[in-house]
Amino acid sequence: MTQAKKVSKSKLWFLVHSWLALPLWVFVFFVCVTGTIATVSQEIVWLANPAVRANAPSDDAQMLGYDAILEVIEREHPGAVVEFISRPVKSQFALTARVAYPDATEASLYVNPYTGQIQGSTSGFSFQQFMRALHGWLLVPFTEGFSLGWYIVAFLGIPMLASLVTGLVVYKRFWRGFLKPKLRLRQGGRVFWGDFHRLAGIWSIPFIAIIGVTSIWFLIQAVLFDNQISFSTFGVPPIVAREDIPVVAAGQPPPGITLDRAAQIAQQTFPDLEASFVSLPSNAYDHIRVGGRGAYPLLFETMSINPYTGVVEHTRRVSDRSTLELVTGSMRPLHTGDFAGTWLKLVYAFFGLLLSMMVFSGMLIWTKRTAKETVAEVKRRKSARAARAVVATEGGRSA
Amino acid sequence: MSKAAAAQTQAPMSWFGLKWKRWRFYLSAFVLIAPLAYLPTYFEDLALERGDVGLGQRDIGEITAGPWSVRLAEWQIGAPEREGLAGYAKVFTLAQCRECIGQIKAIYMRVGEPRSLRTAGSLFAGSPYRQMAEVLIPEQASPEAQLWLTLEGWDGAVHQVRVPLSDASPSTVQWLKQRNRRP
Repeated sequence: MTQAKKVSKSKLWFLVHSWLALPLWVFVFFVCVTGTIATVSQEIVWLANPAVRANAPSDDAQMLGYDAILEVIEREHPGAVVEFISRPVKSQFALTARVAYPDATEASLYVNPYTGQIQGSTSGFSFQQFMRALHGWLLVPFTEGFSLGWYIVAFLGIPMLASLVTGLVVYKRFWRGFLKPKLRLRQGGRVFWGDFHRLAGIWSIPFIAIIGVTSIWFLIQAVLFDNQISFSTFGVPPIVAREDIPVVAAGQPPPGITLDRAAQIAQQTFPDLEASFVSLPSNAYDHIRVGGRGAYPLLFETMSINPYTGVVEHTRRVSDRSTLELVTGSMRPLHTGDFAGTWLKLVYAFFGLLLSMMVFSGMLIWTKRTAKETVAEVKRRKSARAARAVVATEGGRSA
Repeated sequence: MSKAAAAQTQAPMSWFGLKWKRWRFYLSAFVLIAPLAYLPTYFEDLALERGDVGLGQRDIGEITAGPWSVRLAEWQIGAPEREGLAGYAKVFTLAQCRECIGQIKAIYMRVGEPRSLRTAGSLFAGSPYRQMAEVLIPEQASPEAQLWLTLEGWDGAVHQVRVPLSDASPSTVQWLKQRNRRP
């Protein structure tokens, strides 16, 4: 009795497991594949476009300061206004400077951090951003609040997490799979894909859990935002006080600190901060913002420096955040794996590929099973028809 | 085995039923029509953001204020968008005249006359070649309302200029008319 109950229960779990992704598998597969490409999209661009690489002219070459970079840009592109400089720390990537031109267009320039040479620029289209948009919201635009595409993709986190849980329930003593991995290559497709699905599944437990949980967070995030629910402790964004802005005669440049000085102030304020970007004031009341990763690499720490006085007027450190903000703020970097360098991105890409293959193998297992069922069904139909014919002829004979 | 399941195994399936049984699981591929359908919009938005189509989707024209002038544009044609609890807002962009660059400290915009410089409205942000401001549109504003542009120089000089909302954004005026008509 109990045995029978157990069997029917695991059968039910198995049914739930197979039905979770099946009706959606093409879509889930698409999201997994685009997500995998998105994790390493920056590296793909690095391979494809030499302009984004940062080749040092010699081993002991020093990186240029921010002011030297501004000088180069002014020399090469007179009149261009630099708005933002992203400067990867100890990286193989060239630094990026976002500039505005007098004809109202904008571009991102790739600047060699050692020589200051402008190696290239983007024409607006960014492969990274395109992959992110394709994966994250199916290119459905954000108008008021979150895009519908975002909701649809983020929703997949639920069946994904449920697939993991039901998969582990169905796979009896799955931990034995770690000790005795089984991947039978010569017993047909159905056996191979079944083994692969189980083996890839158990080795991907943490990865699938991370992707599932973070995707569900993306769904919650959108729901919270669109309902104007916020638990941010950031407060009112800082602006420069009117009194601090010097009055100067028309045409005279207002006195202020240089970007190198700002970087120095940032270094003195938080010695453990590895500044990776500087955002230049977007108007007279705006601060110079410097930010980068600190001791907790998942989150950015930033500070706002008064461009006229050099006073640090606002800081946002990991310790300023509430526990809830720490947890929710960690969700995005955990999802993308972009917080520890290329090696982690490659790990993410590997498991992303594995996950894509699991969706595919799940579908294959199902169709192979269904194919058998279909063959059986056709046979049954044939024999039923034959039987009917026999009955009919026999009936005719007896009449 | 339940009765229904038993009945299913006994009744032979039609050709259509068999096809449906296999192919219904590919139906989710239809979701992928979305990225294909939105691909042109994606590139249009990209061109707008990059400034390839100018200051915005609709040029308003050259506006003179004292010794200065700015070229004003409506960022996107359409009704104001809901910005959470803040209410409805429209984005306007402008470019400072070549001679003004370096002279103008700040430019503000709001619907209706500001009481003082401190309530001059939204502050434009960005390069002098293209800066943006998100201007709140009060839901009860009159369709005949004026946009007030306040320009403040580094030397402390202040110049103001009015732009009829009907010139700046006909789509906003239409939206206001529709809202005002409602009881």
